[in-house]
Parts: sequence; C-alpha cells; structure tokens
Amino acid sequence: MLRRLCIAVAFLGLSPPALAQDADPVAPPAAGAQEDDGQLVVDVTGGQRAALPIAVPSMPTPQSADTPAGNTAALGRQVAEIVAADLRNSELFTPIGPSGLTAPSYPQVTAPDFGYFATTGAQNLIQGFVQANADGQLTVGCYLYDVAARSELARQGYVVAPRDWRRAAHRCADSIFSRLTGEGAYFDTRIVYVSETGPARRRIKRLAIMDYDGANHRFLTNGQWTVLTPRFAPNQQTITFMTFQDERPRVMVYEIDSGRTRPLVNTAYQTFAPRYSPDSRHVIFSMAVNGNTDIYRIPVAGGTPQRLTTAPGIDTGGSYSPDGSRIVFESDRGGSQQLYVMDANGGGQQRISFGGGGYATPVWSPRGDLIAFTRTGSFSIGVMPPAGGAGRILNSGGGAEGPSWAPNGRAIMFTRGLSSGQLWYVDVASGATRRVPTPLGGSDPAWSTLRD
Amino acid sequence: MERAEAAGLGVAVVAHGALLAALTLGLFSAATPPPPAPSIEVSFVEQVALETAAPVPASAPPPSAPEEVAVPDDAPTPSEAAPEAPVLAPAPVPRPTPRPTPPRASDSRDRRRPEEPRQTTGQRARAIRLADLNLDSLGRDPAARPTPQAAPAAAMSAQAAANIAQAIIRQVQPCADRQVHPGPGAERIVTPIRLRLNRDGSLQGRPSVGAQRGLDEENRRYAQRVADLAINAFVSCAPLRGLPAELYAVPRGWSNFTMNYRLPG
Repeated sequence: MLRRLCIAVAFLGLSPPALAQDADPVAPPAAGAQEDDGQLVVDVTGGQRAALPIAVPSMPTPQSADTPAGNTAALGRQVAEIVAADLRNSELFTPIGPSGLTAPSYPQVTAPDFGYFATTGAQNLIQGFVQANADGQLTVGCYLYDVAARSELARQGYVVAPRDWRRAAHRCADSIFSRLTGEGAYFDTRIVYVSETGPARRRIKRLAIMDYDGANHRFLTNGQWTVLTPRFAPNQQTITFMTFQDERPRVMVYEIDSGRTRPLVNTAYQTFAPRYSPDSRHVIFSMAVNGNTDIYRIPVAGGTPQRLTTAPGIDTGGSYSPDGSRIVFESDRGGSQQLYVMDANGGGQQRISFGGGGYATPVWSPRGDLIAFTRTGSFSIGVMPPAGGAGRILNSGGGAEGPSWAPNGRAIMFTRGLSSGQLWYVDVASGATRRVPTPLGGSDPAWSTLRD
Repeated sequence: MERAEAAGLGVAVVAHGALLAALTLGLFSAATPPPPAPSIEVSFVEQVALETAAPVPASAPPPSAPEEVAVPDDAPTPSEAAPEAPVLAPAPVPRPTPRPTPPRASDSRDRRRPEEPRQTTGQRARAIRLADLNLDSLGRDPAARPTPQAAPAAAMSAQAAANIAQAIIRQVQPCADRQVHPGPGAERIVTPIRLRLNRDGSLQGRPSVGAQRGLDEENRRYAQRVADLAINAFVSCAPLRGLPAELYAVPRGWSNFTMNYRLPG
C-alpha cells in the first residue's frame, strides 16, 4: 500500500500586468496558449497500489430462453461470476458481486443506477446482458462504467456458439481489464501443462489442457509415457513437448485438431527443450550429439535441423524474442549455468546473467521488455532486462521453476513444489501470487496466446 | 550709546521684526497648497503578488465631465450604453487593472506603455485618461463597471491563489488517493484536466483532458487509464465546497482552472 501526497500551486504564463491588460478580453486566447495563460493551476498527486473495487452485478436477459448452455437468465449470472472471477484472478481488482448486488433490469444495462453502485464502494461498474439469438447463437453484451464520473468507458458485444459461452465472458473481462489497466488481454486463453498424480517413484504425468481459469479441463495423453515441457504454438494449432517414450527422450508435436502425435525430428539423438518461433513456423530445441548439446532449429512440419550453437557444453532452453530476431538460452560453457542471448541465426552470442548460482529456463516476454528465468539453487522465479542486469526475484517462497508468460506480458505462471507440483500465478508488476487450481498436481505450465 | 542711537536701534529692531512678520505672513498666504488628493493607501504588493491589489481611492473619480465633450449624434447615450457594460463582465480581463475605469482607448500606443498602470493611483492620471476616453466609453457610469474592476481587492493574489489551491487539493486529495496505480511507469505521467465550475462548486460539463506529459515507451499503455484516474479523482469529490465566491469569476479564479494529476512514485 502506497500513499504519498504532493501539493503544489503555480501560476502559469506570468507576465507583467501592464502587458497582460492589453489583451483584448473579447478575443479568444491563442490556441495552445490557453492552457498556460493566466489560469489557476492545481497539482494533485495521489493514488495507491491496491486492487480496484469494481461492481459486477448479474446480467439480465431481454427474454428468458433455454439454450444448450442453459437458460439465458441463469447464464447472465454465470457470465457475471466469470467476469468477476477473471478480474479477481488478475490480482488487480476486488470485484463486488454478483452475490449481494441488486441485478439491473434489462433497460438499466445502458442506464445504470450509479447512485446505488456508489454505495457499494465500487469505482467501476460492469453491466451486460445475455440474449439468445434466433440462429441459436448467444449474444453477450458488456458495458463498463465509471461510477463517480457516471460515464461509460467501454462497451463490447460478443456473439458465440452456446458451447463457447464461457469464452464470451472471458472476452468481456478481457476488454474491461484492458480498458482499466492499459494492459493487453489474457483471460480468453488456455494452459497446457503436465498433470501429475501418484507416488513420487511411479508418478503418472499426463499432458493436460484447460482454459486459463481451469475450466474445460481435459487430458491429451494417457500417461503411458512421462511427458515434460509442453509448449503452445502461438497459432494454437500444435503443442510440442518432450516425452520419454520407449525410455528415449525426444520432442514430439501434438496436433490439437486431429489429436495426432508425431516426433519433431527423425533422429536417434536425444532431443528436448522445444519452443516455437513467434510465427509458429519453426521450433528450436536441444539435441545431444556425441556428448555436446546444442540448439537447433527445424520447421514444425519437419525437415533438416539447422544448428545454431557450437560451443562445448550444454546449450539448451532457447526462447525467441517476440520479433523473432533473437534467442535467449542457457549454457554452462562458462563453468556455471548462465543466460546468453544470440541472433536468431546463432550469431552474436553474449552472456547476460552473472549472478552466483545458476540461471535456467529463460523465457522472453511477449512484450519483449523482460526475460523470465528460474534461479537454480534457490529455485525462484525472476525477471531481467534482455540486456542483462541484476534481475528481480518475483517469489520468495522457493521451490519454483519453469516460468511461462501470459500473452500480455503482465503475469507469469510457474511450477511450485518440486516433489508434488502446483501451478502458481504471479503478477510481474506487483509480485502478487495465487495458486492456479488443477484437478491433480501440475507442473510445466505453458500459456497460450489469446484465442481468435 | 546716545539716546538717539538707542531710539534708532529700537526702531530698527521693531522694523525688522515687522518686516519679518510681514514676509512670513505674506509667504503663508501666497503658498496656500492645493487641496490634498484623496488619501490613497499604497502597498507594495506587486513585489509578492501577481496582481496589483492597491485599494480603490475612497472617492470615486469625477466622471471627467462627459458633458464637456461634444457628443456625436450617433454616440450612445448613457442610458443606452449602460446595459452594454455587462458585456465586458462575462469575459474576464486576463489582468484586471486597479484603475476603477479601465479605458478602452483606441490609441493602442498609449495603452501599451508598460509603466502606465502602475501610475494610476493619482487622481490626475485618471483625469487625463478619462479625457482620453474614446466614444465607445462615453457615458458609461463608472459605478456600473463589472465587479473585477469595481472591487480590485477581490483580485487573485498569489496568497489567495495558494489558499484556493489548498482548499481544492484538500477536497480532491481523498479521491485522488483512492485511484489505483495501473502499472510500472504510470507515475511518470502528468495529466492536466481543464475544469469549469459553476458558482456552487459543481462541474460544468465533463472535464477535458489536456496533453499528457511524461509519456514514454514503458508507460504509454497506461496513458488512457491515467486520464480516467485524473477525471475520477476530481469528479468523485465534486462539487467543491467553501471556495470564496468573490474569487470565482476573477482572472485566474476558480471558475475555470487546470488540475495536474499524477500518481505517486
């Protein structure tokens, strides 16, 4: 919580009264000069680092109708609940409602009872409606208001198939989140991760996918083979991961639509640590050839791997910058595990981390401004600028590894608990963390891009 | 000393005394001073204030005998011109003059002499200026002057401005403190909002957002949000209460001002 006051008063545009009085009082002041010309100016500094109270009442329906997703009246409440949960999940809002709030009538959606919502302490208000269309689709309307200013800040409508009604709620929350924080959207996303269950020695690790909030959870592999390090293709058509199929570590590609799995590289060497290029056309991965592990690149569809690093030692964990021009990776070539940056073709390799202990699993932020990493030894998650530097540790709890960026670059999901994993979320700016619920244990989360 | 000498000395003494008395009395009567000008309280407020705040002389200036001037046929008569006086009133002069009767002389060269307004405390200067009045000003009763000119003591001094600013800040601060910092670097954004207030302290229309300062690559995405916060900070605590009514419409008064809002670092 931060509160600081700074007060100042100033006159702008001081000039001798004798000159100023020459100004013709009838003529309008010159454009631009008006701001500075002899006006009272008051400087106010104030604000806090806290969650924003926002009211989210149930969303009415113009006409109650049954749909495959349920009755529109019930959906209105569920949509409001999802919007409220999304905003709460961001750690930047304290939603009020829909429980305990009087739901607006349908006409009130565009003419809110600001006086009532002001009494709730909310600074902003979200209203909306759910409507069943004649063609079987659902329309979710979403309106954002400033309670004190009694003004509308944003409105958006979403037409979705009934089965995608949750996505409409996420999209609504996304538009509000973006409008109120200035950040990119990230609620209408999915997570692919490794679901873990069973005793440590006979752990069953299955590839699983879910909405970012844990809904629509399903398993993609049956657990026959251990899987690790799944990554979402930015175009969301494929997932790449490492498996120990037949006791052989190698990178596989899973096609989401067909459910088909195939090896990324046809090779007898061990392959691991895959990650997509921003355009989804290539994968960089590590391959151990004759005792030397280097980073290679290959088209997602297959082909001949192109070697990017040649230094002795283990070069692995490559991750592209969002413009695809550079790659950050980890290497032990200097004696300890440290982070390096190179051009996408392997040139210009340069070390960027210098701290004691080790740095691993670097991931370039979708914004390009930070690189997230695991600090080995203490097992904590941190971020540093791509040019290098001290870095900033985001969680102090320990036992954390494997960061994955939200598509807006504002948040990171990671694994906590090395023996029995859990998924955790951290807001990069504030450091606020929360656990992400999964049906079983979980590790290695990978955040998708925003869905289309 | 002979008797004659003593008598002569006495005569001389008396004669000198008489001459001295005569001269003295004669000078007195010859040097009768002009009637003193109405006393004027002079203060050197211009050294600290941005506005001349010298009080008006107690006596109203003579109306400069407008009847002495040949009034053209098309000149407005006093009764016709009087309603025009308020025309000046709604448009606050950027710098009010302490002169009770600011002339709108057509001779701009004359008006642009910078030292002129500082010398307006003397009746003589006023008389001259009134004589210079052009036809537009003729017949306007000085008593009908708009408030800023009629009551220069209500002009906004630096101290008064500071007091008003403090009063505004006191009322807005609690709402400013409720605004939520959106993200890294947003504290570098300064958002000016222009506010027009009614006399009761309520807002006249929505505030308009001026050009924000301090934007950079890191915080640009928060620009719109910080503009929201600036407006919310003010309107949440509007209407303003207890601001001095006499400083509402004066230049730099609180009828129309700019609030610069920023988040704490």
